[in-house]
Amino acid sequence: MAAISSRIKAYLGRIGPSLVLLAAAVFFIAPILSTARAAFHKVPTILLDRHTWFKKWSLEGVRRAFDEEFFWPTLALSLKLALVTVLITMALLVPTALFVHLRLPKARALVEFLTVLPYVVPPIALVAGVAAFFRPNARWFLNSDFSLAPFYVVMAMPFTYRAIDAGIKAIDVRTLVDASRSLGGSWATTLRKALLPNMASSLLSSAFLTATVVLGEFTIASSLAKNTFATFSFEYFSRDAQGGVGLALLTLLATTALLGLMTVATRSKSRKAATVTRF
Amino acid sequence: MSALTFEAVRKTFGSNVALEGFDLDLQQGELVTLLGPSGCGKTTGLRIAAGFERADSGKILVEGADISKMPPHKRNMGMVFQSYSLFPNLTVTGNVEYGLRTRRLDKVERERRVAEVLELVQLTALGSRYAHQLSGGQQQRVALARALAVRPRVLLLDEPLSALDAKVRTTLRDEIRRIQTEVGITTLFVTHDQEEALAISDRICVMSNGHIEQLGTPTEVYRKPATAFVARFVGTMNVLPATISGATEANVNGTRIAIPAAKGMGKGSSISLLVRPEDLMLATDGLPGTVTSITFQGASTLVGVRLDVIDQLVSIDVGQGGADTLTLGDRVGVGVNGSNAVCEPTE
Amino acid sequence: MSNTVPNPIANGPVASRERRGWAWLGLLPFLAFLAIFLVLPTLGVIRKAFLDNNHSYTTKGFTDAISMEGAAFWNSLKISLITAFLGVIFGTTLAYAAATAKRPKWLRSLVSAFSGVAANMGGIILAFLFLTLLGRQGLGTKILTDNGWDPYKSWFSINDFSGVVLVYMYFQIPLMVLVTLPAIDGLKASWREASANLGGTTFTYWRRVGLPVLAPSMLGGFLLLFANAYSAYATAYALNTQSNLVPIKISFFLRGDVTGRSPAPFALATWMILFMAVSMGGYLVLRKRAERWQQSAAA
Repeated sequence: MAAISSRIKAYLGRIGPSLVLLAAAVFFIAPILSTARAAFHKVPTILLDRHTWFKKWSLEGVRRAFDEEFFWPTLALSLKLALVTVLITMALLVPTALFVHLRLPKARALVEFLTVLPYVVPPIALVAGVAAFFRPNARWFLNSDFSLAPFYVVMAMPFTYRAIDAGIKAIDVRTLVDASRSLGGSWATTLRKALLPNMASSLLSSAFLTATVVLGEFTIASSLAKNTFATFSFEYFSRDAQGGVGLALLTLLATTALLGLMTVATRSKSRKAATVTRF
Repeated sequence: MSALTFEAVRKTFGSNVALEGFDLDLQQGELVTLLGPSGCGKTTGLRIAAGFERADSGKILVEGADISKMPPHKRNMGMVFQSYSLFPNLTVTGNVEYGLRTRRLDKVERERRVAEVLELVQLTALGSRYAHQLSGGQQQRVALARALAVRPRVLLLDEPLSALDAKVRTTLRDEIRRIQTEVGITTLFVTHDQEEALAISDRICVMSNGHIEQLGTPTEVYRKPATAFVARFVGTMNVLPATISGATEANVNGTRIAIPAAKGMGKGSSISLLVRPEDLMLATDGLPGTVTSITFQGASTLVGVRLDVIDQLVSIDVGQGGADTLTLGDRVGVGVNGSNAVCEPTE
Repeated sequence: MSNTVPNPIANGPVASRERRGWAWLGLLPFLAFLAIFLVLPTLGVIRKAFLDNNHSYTTKGFTDAISMEGAAFWNSLKISLITAFLGVIFGTTLAYAAATAKRPKWLRSLVSAFSGVAANMGGIILAFLFLTLLGRQGLGTKILTDNGWDPYKSWFSINDFSGVVLVYMYFQIPLMVLVTLPAIDGLKASWREASANLGGTTFTYWRRVGLPVLAPSMLGGFLLLFANAYSAYATAYALNTQSNLVPIKISFFLRGDVTGRSPAPFALATWMILFMAVSMGGYLVLRKRAERWQQSAAA
């Protein structure tokens, strides 16, 4: 008897993990599949049955989305916002991180703490902060569409700073800087030719991550009444469900592609050893 | 009566044969070391004894009883792992009494045994510390205490010293031997360090590629290596190219040396003659060469000599004071005592 | 420290002592940026929470927020606690399954990568995905109804509490997986074997070693998930713009109040910041604890 129950236990022990993984796969893939069906299948759910299942599949819903008046302008704005956010992030955090590593190691704990602070102030609270501080004091600032960018920088800071910091830790900054400077390079040259190329993979990954966050961000954009791609998607969905869903699927694919690119970019670059490039 | 027996044990991992025809008998109270390079099967053998691997064929017997199919938690053996085996969330006391709690001993008995065994490893004061607060050597001593607290029939040690600093290694290794003899527990010790094996074992089982090369006392293994592998692995060997010139004779470039009977090697076959440094000596009529190094080692001195005709570097143990009159560059003669030499056929 | 040795090449021929005081200026851009776009807005929120309609300081705003929006408070707490709890259970199970699965070899990286994506997925996209699956016109709803059980006639609705909980699991579980995988990796095989060797069964191991060692990570994960769910806005909004949850209420009040005088949204936001601070603080403390055990450094 004992032998049988222990055999059953061993069997369960072996298939248990597989069952769990299978269940998880179903849970996580099902919504994507139903979305794909809703986007490409022009048959209302109520009418679905064996006969209607294989008819009327097309890309029409998605095409309608592309024809929407505000599709391209909002997409353009979101892409520009992503770019601006990435640039501000780099311009602000890379020098700061390098500075902390090279000149002010004592500040490291403080800076790391500060970059994690945005976790404590989630987007909706930040929106309240904008209302509390910017609306009465600097309303002009909020008029520009690009006023979203600095807040996006703040939102992404915990991730981006950690990625940049990891990139710096992975290379021997001190030695590279000393080598470059002793060969006669200025700070700008040192940055450009010695440091940045070797940090490329972590910079790229934080850039991709930021772009993903910006493209999908809804909370702050809708609260500040800006027309980003996310707010447009939401509004469009309430008008045209099938088109809206098609759009959602596209966004999902684009995001996955971005993150896939990021993985590939970081994997191949990390193989190169850190070197000072020729002047 | 034999305390632990491996009987014709065979184990493969996929296409890799880890153990083949493994027969070993440990007598009550003795410390046997499985010695060999990585991949020789020594750890596999130990783990089969512990029950973490199941042999493909063959048996494991403890005091005559077949435990081959018994799960590890029923075998009542103590085991010390290479590293990181202390439970991090429990104190030293908590760790040591773990096996006592699974056996449901009452509190009084548990406390008594814990105190007893902590005193054995000389860590009585550290009962309430946690693993991360201990040094590597202390952690292994606690691991030993933990294994011994349950009074197992057999003690298994899987390279317990390999992860430690050299200085700690020597002290701890002697500690382990002291405790083992004091308690009188049958012990199977696995290591790749031949110095360790020579220092503490009652018998050594030298292994390579899944089978036993030689089983014998440290003296036997060192002085009379059964195969060239054992000769090279244990201690250091000088390698002299030679040819067999008789039933018990080898010829090293003209000089004839008496050796033990060379099995299965016919006259004229070329071999490598393996000779220990202490079997070479400075002799005026020996093989000519030049002194290239003199290394003082305390109790003895090693003299490195480059032999003229064979262009081979040999190491001569000249004992205390034997090199006092030598300087680098001196011309010397090297005499060979072949009575313990091992012949290794070359192609 | 490299700072104490004057480096004539990198620093120039200036006395290092003088430099050190000025060195903090290098952080100025960073500090200024954070001050303007994070610190001051946050302080503004806290300040406004203490002001009432007559510009005098009072804590009435805080107590009012709870009493008047009690339902929202309670709903947000419930959702956060439930999804955090479920997330811990399912996330740990999934992480363990992925960590111990030996074949295929790429399985663990796949789970890890997917979790990285799914944990950050939130927002409206997620809401749309589930609307197509379990909305009133959803594919899943239709399949279930055709086979005998109409969830909407029963207790389920994607726009209500049950829907939000289900949808939140989509990012809570992966987040827990991300946090727990390293902790599970930290469970050394030798502990398991040592436990067996000392006479312990699988149950004994988990009860006396495995779960206690994982406990800080699991508790930390719980706090992280709690904070994550409490602060989520977009998904809940997309599922139901009238959701009775704190983040939705904040946005609702901010939109409705042109004068910016009412302390309601700011009090709610301050409560939220407080919850976040406690949760994230607890999470970081527990993570440090877990890491200490994972090392078990041999000196």
